[in-house]
Amino acid sequence: MARIIVVTSGKGGVGKTTSAAAIATGLALKGNKTVVIDFDVGLRNLDLIMGCERRVVYDLVNVIQGEAGLNQAMIRDKRTDNLYILPASQTRDKDALTLEGVEQVLDKLSEDFDYIVCDSPAGIERGAQLAMYFADEAIVVTNPEVSSVRDSDRILGLLASKTRRAEQGQDPVVERLLITRYDPNRVDSGDMLNLEDIQEILAIKLIGLIPESEAVLRSSNSGVPVTHDQDSDAGQAYSDTVARLLGDEKPLRFHQLQKKSFLSRIFGGGRR
Amino acid sequence: MSLKVDQTATAFTFKGGMLPMTVMELNSPDPERISAQLAGKLSQSPAFFQHTPVVLSVEKLDDTALALERLCAVCRSHKLLPVAVRGGSEGIKQSAWALGLGWFPPQESRESRTLESVTPPPDRVPAASSAPSGGRIFRGTVRSGQQISAAEGDLVVVGAVNAGAEVLAAGSVHIYGPLRGRALAGIHGDRDCGIFCHELHAELLSVAGNYKRLEDIDPSLLNTTVQVRLRDNQLSIEALV
Repeated sequence: MARIIVVTSGKGGVGKTTSAAAIATGLALKGNKTVVIDFDVGLRNLDLIMGCERRVVYDLVNVIQGEAGLNQAMIRDKRTDNLYILPASQTRDKDALTLEGVEQVLDKLSEDFDYIVCDSPAGIERGAQLAMYFADEAIVVTNPEVSSVRDSDRILGLLASKTRRAEQGQDPVVERLLITRYDPNRVDSGDMLNLEDIQEILAIKLIGLIPESEAVLRSSNSGVPVTHDQDSDAGQAYSDTVARLLGDEKPLRFHQLQKKSFLSRIFGGGRR
Repeated sequence: MSLKVDQTATAFTFKGGMLPMTVMELNSPDPERISAQLAGKLSQSPAFFQHTPVVLSVEKLDDTALALERLCAVCRSHKLLPVAVRGGSEGIKQSAWALGLGWFPPQESRESRTLESVTPPPDRVPAASSAPSGGRIFRGTVRSGQQISAAEGDLVVVGAVNAGAEVLAAGSVHIYGPLRGRALAGIHGDRDCGIFCHELHAELLSVAGNYKRLEDIDPSLLNTTVQVRLRDNQLSIEALV
């Protein structure tokens, strides 16, 4: 039986797809057979982040509507063994997804895989609700700003009421907080919410903290999940996150202001 | 605010009253769907379903397919008490009367005035001096978009009420944690109740319809432990030591 993990946030643009791609890659690199599913029907992006956009033939909607088999639609990642991508349809909308269809796909995948990572669309409507409905665990991606925190709070409310686990009275969905785009300098100057405030409001366990990093945009544009870039702080932070997800204790990194040397202050040494 | 004025020698007096009333706006005539949804709501907030009187609004429906008697039975089996029907055709009106229900003409203006629907105007006479029985304890964080209510008695929240969340009670609201959302006490008009919280950062405070927004709150009281109650018709926020 696979663990089903939904990566969600409520708010758009906080890094759900980047995080889903990076975490799925990290899980596969650790030897877990992993599939990452794009639920953002109509606004497909995961294939770009994973660098497989030229290999998409069939998609999730085709599978649900019986026009293609799962094995036809799944794309095997070229860089990582054990990693598969199930892309969304770009020409359809969220109404093309059905609860029964999603359940069948997840049940089928559960037989073969260790982890199923569901990349949720933004919002709290049908697409987002279908992505979270069958989840065992949720990674709530939050930026250090008030609107993102409030939207995450809303999603946490839905996770506690609008999921299969909640409706059937099973153990609740395990909720974990992933803070992305964290910039200790801006936190220090008061532009951004700090880690403690976010945790106090959302009151769930922190699974990771990803610093604001140039590496993220670079890797998105080149279609290589940032987990592969182990020289970068973001890549290392995602690796830590995956390790915690698998039960390892890892101390938190990248959340404190780094003292800049005299030279780097003069030459403005950017983060790698 | 004396309530004794109408105790005269006559057997009764007719009084115009504006009682808070729940309107159940039907989007579907299907009793099965309504029943399923009610069952879901019942498990979320059992305190609400205590033979609560409701008005069934059929304005949005094509009412030819509506089985009013069946619908009333569904409501009653979920501890809702239909008292009247609003809108619908002549046929609906007749069958409402036959079932012993009142009938109201359809509502003309339909702006959404959600705040007023839950908070009675300040000059209202209490609907009933409800005993502080019933009540409800909620443990955990009340999250943005969630609404926790106690239709009778006090509401106790052991945890935070986050921004965008709403907690309501017929009696007082007690929050053992930060209050960042909206808190409404005395929603049926009880003026003797209050709001108590550990860390005040409320979007809105209301006791029996008298309200203050975050903007109206003295900044020196923010993030302190306070009680909120009515004094001389004014909402007063006082530090609790």
